[in-house]
Amino acid sequence: MATRTSRAASSAPLPVLKRLLPVALLTIAVAWTSTSAKAADEIVIGASIPLSGPLAGFGSFQKWGYSRAVDEVNKAGGITIDGRKMPVRLVLRDDKTDPNVTAANTESLLSRDQARALLGSCTPALVNAGALVAERKKIPLVTGCNPLEAFKSVRKWNYAWDLFFHEPELAAIPFKVLDDLKLETNKKVAIFHDNGPDGQVVGGTLWPQMAKAAGYEVVQNASFPVDNTQFTSLVAEAKAKGAEVVLVDAITPQAVSIRKQIASAGYAPKLLVIEKGAEPVQFAEALGKLADGVLVGGYWDPSFPYPGAKDLATTFESETKLTFSQHIADSYAAAQILLDAIASAGSLDPEKINAAVAKTDKTYVVGPIKFDESHNAKLPLAMLQWQGGKTSIVWPADRATGKILFPVP
Amino acid sequence: MSVLTTSVPERSLLLHHPFVRVALSGISFAALLAAPSFLPAYFVEIGFKLLLYIVLAEAWNLLAGYCGLVSLGSSSFFGLGAYVTVGLLNHTGSGIGLALAASALVAMTLALAMSRGLFRLRGLYFTVGTLALAEALRLLVVNVPWFGGATGLFVSADLPDVTELFRDAALLLVVASLVMTLATGSRFSVLLRAVRDDEDAASQVGVRAFRVKLAAFMVASALIAIAGGLQAIKLGAIEPYGSFGLQWSVDPLAIVIIGGLGMRFGAIVGAIFFVAIGELLADYPELHVAITGIILIILIRCAPRGLCGLLETALRRTGPTKVASS
Amino acid sequence: MPGLDVIVNALISGLLLGGMLALTALGLSIILGVMRLVNLAHGEFLVAGAYAGLFLLQRTGIDPLVGLLLIGLILALIGYPIYRFLLAPLAGKGSEAAMMTMFGLSIILQNLFVLLFSADTRAIERDYATIPLMLGPISVPQIYVIGFAISVALIMAVHVLIARSRFGSELRASADQPLAAAIIGVNVSRVHALTFCLGTACAGIGGTLIGVALSFTPTSGATYLLTDFAVIVLGGLGNVLGTLVGGIVLGVLQSVGGLTLGDGYRDLVGLVLFLAMLQLRPQGFLGSRA
Repeated sequence: MATRTSRAASSAPLPVLKRLLPVALLTIAVAWTSTSAKAADEIVIGASIPLSGPLAGFGSFQKWGYSRAVDEVNKAGGITIDGRKMPVRLVLRDDKTDPNVTAANTESLLSRDQARALLGSCTPALVNAGALVAERKKIPLVTGCNPLEAFKSVRKWNYAWDLFFHEPELAAIPFKVLDDLKLETNKKVAIFHDNGPDGQVVGGTLWPQMAKAAGYEVVQNASFPVDNTQFTSLVAEAKAKGAEVVLVDAITPQAVSIRKQIASAGYAPKLLVIEKGAEPVQFAEALGKLADGVLVGGYWDPSFPYPGAKDLATTFESETKLTFSQHIADSYAAAQILLDAIASAGSLDPEKINAAVAKTDKTYVVGPIKFDESHNAKLPLAMLQWQGGKTSIVWPADRATGKILFPVP
Repeated sequence: MSVLTTSVPERSLLLHHPFVRVALSGISFAALLAAPSFLPAYFVEIGFKLLLYIVLAEAWNLLAGYCGLVSLGSSSFFGLGAYVTVGLLNHTGSGIGLALAASALVAMTLALAMSRGLFRLRGLYFTVGTLALAEALRLLVVNVPWFGGATGLFVSADLPDVTELFRDAALLLVVASLVMTLATGSRFSVLLRAVRDDEDAASQVGVRAFRVKLAAFMVASALIAIAGGLQAIKLGAIEPYGSFGLQWSVDPLAIVIIGGLGMRFGAIVGAIFFVAIGELLADYPELHVAITGIILIILIRCAPRGLCGLLETALRRTGPTKVASS
Repeated sequence: MPGLDVIVNALISGLLLGGMLALTALGLSIILGVMRLVNLAHGEFLVAGAYAGLFLLQRTGIDPLVGLLLIGLILALIGYPIYRFLLAPLAGKGSEAAMMTMFGLSIILQNLFVLLFSADTRAIERDYATIPLMLGPISVPQIYVIGFAISVALIMAVHVLIARSRFGSELRASADQPLAAAIIGVNVSRVHALTFCLGTACAGIGGTLIGVALSFTPTSGATYLLTDFAVIVLGGLGNVLGTLVGGIVLGVLQSVGGLTLGDGYRDLVGLVLFLAMLQLRPQGFLGSRA
């Protein structure tokens, strides 16, 4: 073993100071890494988003949405600060889908890149980790991609702002759809949900309550961690109990596996809702015709009657050759809200920018935005259904673009 | 690294005097404590990260480099420390110091409880066993509702600012350094080496191999748990995937390998390099993970004794100082 | 309390699933047993196999199960340069160096998958993967039965290769006594190269099956890596037939855990069992060497 010699050499007495001396100087050594460009004539906005790790998919949409909003402002000449037009520079960092890294990135965006305002990451764990740093440093942070209850439950926010859907609304939709569209079932519901922040709230608490209120019987309620791959026993149980309504809240890889395992168990519920995981187009691509009939709540679609909605999706698809996701809309809107706030503050003082975010009252690509006292802005929801590889809005009636497939084929 | 090259020759000349040693240790420590007052905020942040990584790497080095216990289970104690610290802060209103001390105690208890089983495993089995321990703890925390599931826990008390945390981390590093000095420079170090090199032979000549390993394992676990607690306080919010993440097990290993396994400055040099690479590549968010991997592979291939080994070789070639053997 | 048919169902699918777990663990087992290498990139080889199966189907229309051997060959061809240029130079430099090299490779591969194929969740879409097989009140996913059969066939084939062939005897010698093997003229490096390729090939086949039966993403590998460690320790390090036994034991116990405590506890049950096994019988159920 070659390491043997080095080990022997190192086993000589080792005084404390030999270890401490370089440590005392280590901060100077790290000074090499300092590359911070201090430009006084630009507005620096920072964002730590997941560009690698399990959530890299979300991060790529956020990157596009954030960059698009910033590019548009720069094309129009930038933002006037204290009477001078300044360009905006967006600094992006990869948080590797690790909240520890989100926090560290957010700190260095402020201390190294001198960011004056921040945009958020995606999913509660990551967004909250960054928002807590922003809160401590008293720097405004605008984010989407964090369900409002999960955001609100962390603390009383002063500098962080969230625009997304509200879990109770999301949880209520399946029952509204069943009722409004007069869909006949045996009123037996099976719920499968992950034990992440939103899964716990929607699947663990809200769905059972709302099922009861709507006169449905919950015959099964099962939770699982987000890295589970096997769902055979819970599917078998739901089948044995004869549930005709299956409500699932899970991330995409699990959503795909659950859909496959429901089919391969020979189980055919009449209504199948898969929140969260069934939203991106990859869900339908991975499943092919098995995706048909799966319902998912959505907070945005290019057909929504808001300014720029259709253009945003078209631009995204022509630039990237990918199918749009609703995440381009909330990230684009979050960046616009922040940029508008900087413009109306006319200053780079974080306090003033924060005050301007609080006053936001305008219709963006995701709908009208006005933050309430817990710093939430609710995005209106619709029920989407996968039909032939595309989603159609099947509820509410005034937004519908297609008719519901029922029962699930 | 320039730090090392300048300090090395000088060391062999006057640093052997006990008085000079104590004085220099004191000065270094004082400088470390004073650092956050005059350093820019960015360097305090990075410094905190660096201190934490050095502690983790030293703890890993104590196990692997000096006892032959190659562990992939640092994250079990890191996560444990994080959860115990936050739990105590939230529910008992104890101070940070008390919460951290308690987390060290809990980690030592866990180490004690697991030791009987883990130490029956030799070599690879020990590595795989510690990996499973971390994963089992994470799954337990994810599934048992007391720990907040995948949502995790939030610190309800006000968080101390990073200057104070930097000082706490500096203090922890001093403790870790003392431990390493003891482990490598005392009678205990002879026992450690005896156990590492040939456990069976050591047992035959009367070394209580089990106790020696247990002592090292418990101390390392306590250090890692305190580091976990500090990181949790810094974050203000913890959840199982971040706190029990594999990265807390693998990063210390990568750091020690980069710096030099069993080398006295291995952990420090490795940590500085590791953190500096992370910061330098921050502007290439899409590629930095892959580049880190490539650097790791190249280093292992070209510098089997780590950066410290490279430096030693370079010094031996340029100067006749007896650096390498000291 | 679930009905009898649910229990029987769960046990049978646990058994079948166990067979598939064994297949995903086989590559890790061979490499660990012979080369004493903790292959931290094993999960990524599984994912690479799943992508290979997916693209084989998309580009050429060859059914991934028909093309399994081809996928194995592709993965072996990927494995060879990895052994030759990354692992062979580290021979004799301690196990940590090789382990960390494989860790470095695993993060590079994950990043590469994201860059090349995006972070999307994928699954190989096949009709036979989503229909049940009914036997009276018992219904099991047909793909599990197919997977089990492939797993048993492949494990038997590898077992015969190792137990009967000349390569196998050299391999066993290299695993037990590398020095002695070298002295009696075994080319240990060549044996290791072939072992590594065999390991990656098996991982590729296992990964394809995951892609067909379940779903995968660029980062799915890590979950399987941990489960697979449990499988091979249960079966005994480097014991090929033991891998099958370990997989089945784990699959059945996971199902029992899932049934009694909820599916969330599946993996936990597996790991607790794994830790208990490490304490009681570190050589595994079948193993004789520790």
